[in-house]
Amino acid sequence: MARLLTASVVAATAALSAHALAQPAPLSAPEKIYAALAALPKAERSARIEQGARAEGKLVLVHTLRGALGAGHVELFHKRYPFLALDVAGEIGSQDAAERLLAEETAGRHLTDAIVTAVMDLDELIRRNQVARYPTPAVDAILPRYRAFIDPQNRWIPWFWSEHGISYNTSLVPPSQTPRQWSDLCNPFFRGAVSFDPAENRFLSGLNAMLGEAATVRLLECIGKNDPIVQRGHTQRMELMLAGDHMVQGDNYLYQGVAMQRKNSATPFAIVYSAPILATNDVAAINRNAPNPYAAALFADWTLSAESQAYLAKQLRGPVGLPHPYLPDNVTLIDNIDPPKETMDRLLAAWFRHVEKPR
Amino acid sequence: MTRLGLKEAALALLIAVLAYQVIVPFAMIIWTSLKLARPGEPDFLSLSFTFANYLRAYGGEAFWRISLNTLSFAFAATLIAFVIGAFMAWVIERTHTPLAGLIGVLLIGRIAIPGILIAISWILVASPNIGLINQMALRLAGLRNPINIYSFSGMVFVQALELVPLTYLLLGAAFKAMDPRLEEASAMTGAGHWHTLRRISLPLALPAVAAALLLLFLTTIEAFEVPLLMGTRAGMRVYTTEIFYDTSRTPVDWGLSSTYAVALLAVAIVLLFAYFRLVGHGERYQTITGKDFRPRRIDLGPWRYATCVLALALVFLITGVPFLMMLYASLLPFYQVPSTAAFASMSLDNYWTLFQNSKTVTPMINSSILGPAVATAVVLVVALISYFVQKTRLPGRRLLDFLGFAPVAIPSVVLGATFFWFYLIVPLPLIGTLTIIGLAYLTKYMPVALRFVSASMMQVHAELDEAAQVAGGSWARNFLKIMLPLLKPGLLAAWLWVMVHAYRELTIALMLARSQNRTASVVIFDLWEEGSFLRLGALAVLMFGLLSVLCALARVISARFGVEEQVA
Repeated sequence: MARLLTASVVAATAALSAHALAQPAPLSAPEKIYAALAALPKAERSARIEQGARAEGKLVLVHTLRGALGAGHVELFHKRYPFLALDVAGEIGSQDAAERLLAEETAGRHLTDAIVTAVMDLDELIRRNQVARYPTPAVDAILPRYRAFIDPQNRWIPWFWSEHGISYNTSLVPPSQTPRQWSDLCNPFFRGAVSFDPAENRFLSGLNAMLGEAATVRLLECIGKNDPIVQRGHTQRMELMLAGDHMVQGDNYLYQGVAMQRKNSATPFAIVYSAPILATNDVAAINRNAPNPYAAALFADWTLSAESQAYLAKQLRGPVGLPHPYLPDNVTLIDNIDPPKETMDRLLAAWFRHVEKPR
Repeated sequence: MTRLGLKEAALALLIAVLAYQVIVPFAMIIWTSLKLARPGEPDFLSLSFTFANYLRAYGGEAFWRISLNTLSFAFAATLIAFVIGAFMAWVIERTHTPLAGLIGVLLIGRIAIPGILIAISWILVASPNIGLINQMALRLAGLRNPINIYSFSGMVFVQALELVPLTYLLLGAAFKAMDPRLEEASAMTGAGHWHTLRRISLPLALPAVAAALLLLFLTTIEAFEVPLLMGTRAGMRVYTTEIFYDTSRTPVDWGLSSTYAVALLAVAIVLLFAYFRLVGHGERYQTITGKDFRPRRIDLGPWRYATCVLALALVFLITGVPFLMMLYASLLPFYQVPSTAAFASMSLDNYWTLFQNSKTVTPMINSSILGPAVATAVVLVVALISYFVQKTRLPGRRLLDFLGFAPVAIPSVVLGATFFWFYLIVPLPLIGTLTIIGLAYLTKYMPVALRFVSASMMQVHAELDEAAQVAGGSWARNFLKIMLPLLKPGLLAAWLWVMVHAYRELTIALMLARSQNRTASVVIFDLWEEGSFLRLGALAVLMFGLLSVLCALARVISARFGVEEQVA
């Protein structure tokens, strides 16, 4: 599998860091604990964290792996550390998780210890210095190809990644018309038969990282001319496509189709491996004012443990400590980092002008 | 405490409840709409205000296009829902149509099905390419996609069907409490059924009719599932989807979302004033007096079979189609259009999987507590509001009605956020409890329940209360022993409506959910997000069965202790 575009990650990290670097804030109480832990040998550090977590006895977590997937992951953690009482909200999305922590902290209420979120949704929390710096040797478990996901300033712990790409219904798309690249979404053969979710920053930032702004706008323009379907709900779009509603998922998670196909081999699903796949870095981030800092650290480290990573692979999600469960090694990955706000505003405007044309 | 003192205490408590439950959220919404700072930020509480959010929201062409979409959608859905609902209420409550009771139960049972599943069911029935109707049209007549549910008319159709049970409950309660002697008098003058219905029955039900129109219109403006699942694909954006997309980004633009909510409030105020003008003389609609009466059913002769067939066809569309779609889907291993292979692959696996998941138990218990508790609290509050507004001469009493009804203008996502923010800022330990959800529901469901009970209250003649007072009964005793029993049709309809909706409400529950206060609807959402539509179908089938039994029981109880017995 191709390496991630390290340079772009560094650029994004630099952009996210600019504010914090300009005005270094004093360390919060949890950050002081984490700084002290960083000075300890690995074994002693782990023992100290577990000891501290035992004393705290509780972890308040917003876990954005949905439904049974997230519940299974939390259950595994609890099995490992049964002394912790877990207060887990597992029914909200990545953006909502970041918004919830932001709301609590803005109101001066320190309720949540850690959240699981896509790194791009941390932007506002980082800008407001509400994420703890947590240096941890656990990141040593991350495979070299994913090390670009690591934050040099230790504000997040990458532990899985999500793939967005093109897929299609093999019953509806004849082999001669199989899409190969993103530009094939403009093929008139697919007129009115390519679906997208309503405006998503991560999709647009991925296209921007892959093509640059001008080419992204041109792609959106030609997609728009092909009368795309815009419909809310990744899973529902996938199900509708596989039921024969339309031919192609212009952008969607790929694992759902793979899971359905493994459940029923007749599922008419195929992934376009030749088109680059957009990768979202999913992380654990600790509240700068976490009420249970040791428990938060315990969870953050555990996410990169062998059992946590194996669980992800079994569930067809993208672990960072293990090879991907179904994507071939030679697929090209694009890290869909957030571009500057002005660029994103222009991309969103182009999206609404060409693709999601309101009536 | 003296008799007068108890009444005053009840009034003071009511004002306190309304102030806390309604004025505070509205103040918060209006305040937020005038701020660029987020709640909790230092500048949020300062006394500097800006209209920047209003300029952003209302200044562009998009707002007016969205307004037009919203209003035309609401108008069309209201009209259709009202016509069908009024017909159903009349057939079920006032005629000797065969199977009327069963039709009523099936119609009310429909509200047990979560709205999101109704929308999905109709997508599976009438979407292009895979919809059952389009498949049949192609196979039988060679027609390609004659119907498209992803359209304005598709949205209106599904939303209108969604609202028919509400219309039925509102009008049915009024029809049940109608004095038949007035109709008999009309008949004696030689007027036929149609003339009597038009000149006597419907005008007498004017408060309920106006309440139904008002509620249907505002409920449609606040509707979310249909615009989200069908409107987005049709390119039809309305207020609620706009607010949803505004609150789906980080950081959420609370100022802009609140500004849209203020627009909804303005619409609600205008409509509420129109409603008050329409039903301004409450005494005209009083049919329940001290004299004995029994609501009489109209004998339609052979036409009763025609009304039966038509009502059955409608209830099939409203309840049967979505239910059968869910039943069908719940038996499949993966969704596929009906075929021999699909039927051969059916099993009960989705049901077993549901029962094996222990994490569904606590949320079900939570909802089973929340639903009845909230419904009871709401019904008590709105009964008091109705009483003070309609049976007293208190200055400013209309304000109580307005406060009780105004939350209809707050979209659930904004209401949920307001309660979340409020209890974050105010140091009360309610975050993560069932109480915070219950309080939010109290505000959310007051408007609908108020119109149910208000319409019934208008039919109760003031002479009953006055007679009880003359007989020396205390105010509390009169209220509990005379007023509430007389209001039973409206109270029961309101209680059922609130209970079922509180059981299945999602948006607020999701915004306020933590590990200990998850509700059944959050489980539904989990299944939905997981893409387990088939298991979701299984859950919905079970919920439908359970709540239909509850509705049937309620009807039995209503028949046993309803108006007939109280006044006879």
